[in-house]
Amino acid sequence: MAGYKNTKKILSDENVRKLVMARLSVLSKDTMISLGSEGSYTREQLMESVKNGDRVGEKLAEIQLEWLRSFKEKVAV
Amino acid sequence: MKMIVTRPQHDVITKYLSVWAEEVINFAKEKGIEVFDLIKEKANKKDFCGRVKKLQPDMIFLNGHGDDDCVTGHDDQEIVKAGDNHNILYGAITYALSCNSGKILGQKVTENKMTTYIGYEDKFIFVSDRNYMRCPIDDPKARPFMEASNQVMISLLKGNKAKDASERSKSKFRDNYIRLLSSSADQDSLQAAQCLWWNMRNQVCLGDLDAELKV
Repeated sequence: MAGYKNTKKILSDENVRKLVMARLSVLSKDTMISLGSEGSYTREQLMESVKNGDRVGEKLAEIQLEWLRSFKEKVAV
Repeated sequence: MKMIVTRPQHDVITKYLSVWAEEVINFAKEKGIEVFDLIKEKANKKDFCGRVKKLQPDMIFLNGHGDDDCVTGHDDQEIVKAGDNHNILYGAITYALSCNSGKILGQKVTENKMTTYIGYEDKFIFVSDRNYMRCPIDDPKARPFMEASNQVMISLLKGNKAKDASERSKSKFRDNYIRLLSSSADQDSLQAAQCLWWNMRNQVCLGDLDAELKV
């Protein structure tokens, strides 16, 4: 099992949860996202993870927020 | 010149990594490198350590799952672990296409100053299309990720220094990121762009940054 330390609970913020859900909802039905030893997930499974606030959902939220922050810090590219 | 590759294939993710690693293997063979391919069940600790001790390879290409302190092989069995057998990588240039191992294993290994470790400090994430599960090499959604990752090895095999190989890989991640970010043709492009950015940000090159293959 990979070492994702689920200590932050980013998805407890309802606005963040909605943001991540909105982003995932537009994915095509055949798209899979693979997160190492966590496995590969379809759109529906990813949205379920976000809804449940599990480790996969938390990781997706972390990526989304870090990416948005990078724009603020002007280090996106 | 010798290279050892581990290619477990026990789930969808390792299947993708394994199939895309063939591009690197073929390129290495074209360059006259002797490639020792530990595929499927052969990607285990005993075979790996035995081969490394015997052959003392210049390059090691690890594909598989990982944690902060280890990289695994077939059926998620540990192949290299910090504090256990990390010294097996001493003196070589290693690229670990696995999650997290740059965090502790890479640091531990590169306490030896003659050693280079390129890996990822967090999850290596990629996007794919489930219609291509049986033929990952043709998956257009996975291509930007695997192509950018393979750039580490291709660049090293061309004789570039480790730090430059990592930079070229990051540059490929960046190019693909910008292309997807500015694309409106694909509904998945923004999510894929974010994942590319994530991998680019988390790739690290540790230890002897000037190490290079004399090809």
